[in-house]
Amino acid sequence: MAVPKLEQLSKSVVQGPSLATGAIPTKDWMDIPAIFKPGNYAYQAKKEKVEYLNSQKDLQFPNAREWSPEDDDWKLPEDWKDIILKGLKERLDKFRSLKIFMDCCVRCGACADKCHFFLGTGDPKNMPVLRAELLRSIYRNDFTLGGKLLGKMAGAREMTVGVLKEWFMYSYQCTECRRCSVFCPYGIDTAEVTMMLRELLHLVGVGINWILEPASNSNRTGNHMGLQPHTFKDNVDFLADDVENLTGIKINHSFNRKGAEVLFITPSADVFAEPGLYTAMGYLLLFEHIGLDYTFSTYASEGGNFGLFTNNELMKKLNGKMYAEAKRLGVKYIIGGECGHMWRVIHQYMDTMNGPADFLEVPKSSITGTTFHNAASTKMVHISEFTADLIKNGKLKLDKSRNAHVKATFHDSCNPARAMGLMDEPRYILDHVVDNWVEMPENTIREQTFCCGSGTGLNTDEIMELRMRSGLPRANAVKHVIDKHDVNTLSCVCAIDRATLTSLMNYWNPGCKVCGVSELVGNALVMDGENRQELDEGLRTLV
Amino acid sequence: MKLDEAFRNYREKIVDRWVEYTLSTYKSSAFFIKEKDKFANPVGGNTREALDALFGLLARNADPQEFVAPLEQIMRIRAIQEFAASVAVGPIHAVKHITREILSKDKERCHLVQDLYDFEFAVDLAVLAAFDLYMQCRERLYQVRIQEIKTGNFILTDSKCPTNLLKTNIQESLKTVENH
Repeated sequence: MAVPKLEQLSKSVVQGPSLATGAIPTKDWMDIPAIFKPGNYAYQAKKEKVEYLNSQKDLQFPNAREWSPEDDDWKLPEDWKDIILKGLKERLDKFRSLKIFMDCCVRCGACADKCHFFLGTGDPKNMPVLRAELLRSIYRNDFTLGGKLLGKMAGAREMTVGVLKEWFMYSYQCTECRRCSVFCPYGIDTAEVTMMLRELLHLVGVGINWILEPASNSNRTGNHMGLQPHTFKDNVDFLADDVENLTGIKINHSFNRKGAEVLFITPSADVFAEPGLYTAMGYLLLFEHIGLDYTFSTYASEGGNFGLFTNNELMKKLNGKMYAEAKRLGVKYIIGGECGHMWRVIHQYMDTMNGPADFLEVPKSSITGTTFHNAASTKMVHISEFTADLIKNGKLKLDKSRNAHVKATFHDSCNPARAMGLMDEPRYILDHVVDNWVEMPENTIREQTFCCGSGTGLNTDEIMELRMRSGLPRANAVKHVIDKHDVNTLSCVCAIDRATLTSLMNYWNPGCKVCGVSELVGNALVMDGENRQELDEGLRTLV
Repeated sequence: MKLDEAFRNYREKIVDRWVEYTLSTYKSSAFFIKEKDKFANPVGGNTREALDALFGLLARNADPQEFVAPLEQIMRIRAIQEFAASVAVGPIHAVKHITREILSKDKERCHLVQDLYDFEFAVDLAVLAAFDLYMQCRERLYQVRIQEIKTGNFILTDSKCPTNLLKTNIQESLKTVENH
């Protein structure tokens, strides 16, 4: 840009991290180091949490220590490099997919502009292709002939502390949402590359607290919050009381009841934090409405699986607990609540890790007689599948006018949409419980849905700006339907979404509420013998 | 009236260069500049839409209150990205220089450059408004963070186990009793 004053303007501004200088990179990406400063990284895991996890059977979380990403010295083990390379070799041998993903990328760039982190930051290392290249460059250097011979010319580089830091920076600027993989002509799942990066980092004690603490809580008490059985029970009881106050309906729920037909598992956030609470009240009303024979477990009191964000072993263990409980209680099958990554684990990994769950029966709704063949192996049905089936068979009495205060749109949560193909059921439900709902633009929904920006354990407040950046593509599409159709509610089927989208809306689109689809179902249900108060805001009404 | 006509004729060219300049503040800007779909490219799309609207307002000497909507569209994005405050706001200035440059290159219209005072003053007002909006967005961000902490999300990681806490309290009370 050859305008003299403009050049001066560019030079006169503070020399920030991004410069108004034409932005033609002056250095190769390999030569730009990752620099950690407050606000651009999630806090490191606490020593005692890592120690605890490492002490548990079948788990390995070594090198517990006090450290900070901002320090030059990360106090890595002396032989950290050998550990990483050995770990990579093990994983290349163990996971065929990783080997293929490392070899088959032709760097076509189809994924480059599909990542919400790239779209929100403009940082090239957030292009999925380049994020994967962070690992691939090491793979080439140590595991391919071309890389060994040609080095940097073949896109290879040596493993250094700088590379490790870069891995930490960018594997935690990926929510494993898999939008990029939808566009990859080779079907490379970049989320699995991120998963491998995180696994490798854990081998040398590099992880974040917002993942490891909920994971250790889950291992200890059965849920992310660390709620003990009596507290979990109390919380659900409170919700049942609230439902009774609002509708006059007494909820007959139970805990750890052997011989129940169904075990119901939902993210603990649903029984604990707003706005998930209202979704949980929706579940309670729904099950009461149809007289379902179900029970909660105070041990498998968490649907979420933060193991997915750490390593295979922890994911397997946390997933296994749900099935161990199902076995212990002797239920026929499991219904799962509105959760995101729980469903990814169930649909993509559960069968290999802990399945098939042959001690359970293929789920068959005792209300409608429908058999859920899609869950023949995992024996676990999504609440939206279950509800949609009830509606289709005319088993629910619904009054849409009870959601008159709602003008909704629907956010496809990444994992249910892309990992299990659950796209039509929530829409079918919405069609029957609200008068007014509209779709967001086509390239932001269904398979192409944009992530909330804070999944995979990045929902922590110290990186709020980063979360607002990565959530921009989602919020931008929501803004469009707010401006065009006066939408006031963003519905979804994921507990992490309910928490993260709330903050996202508070920044980008204040006034837009976030709710679970089951909350809207609960609002609309006409219960036998009800004594319903004037509920202008459905289950959220303060009475 | 001639300046009006020049603004009309050159609007697209000026806005294009203004958008390009603004987007060049990003590390990897080619895609942001090229992709026109606002949903596939929220930063580029919103920047383009907002600067185009803002230019229309600046060119017709509109009420500065009207600057707020398009400026907010841009500043809300730039306020949470990795920019120093001056870099976040700086590109709003650029339209002054771009407009001068483009007009002065047109032999028939270069004399209009001396009539740009009102336009440039409007840009100055827009820059000041942009600073205010930048700060509003930062403050909103802090509010969002506080609200999130208040809703109890933090309990996922930063709370103490109530039962354990009880134990600690009992131990401490016992010690106190022993000491007496």
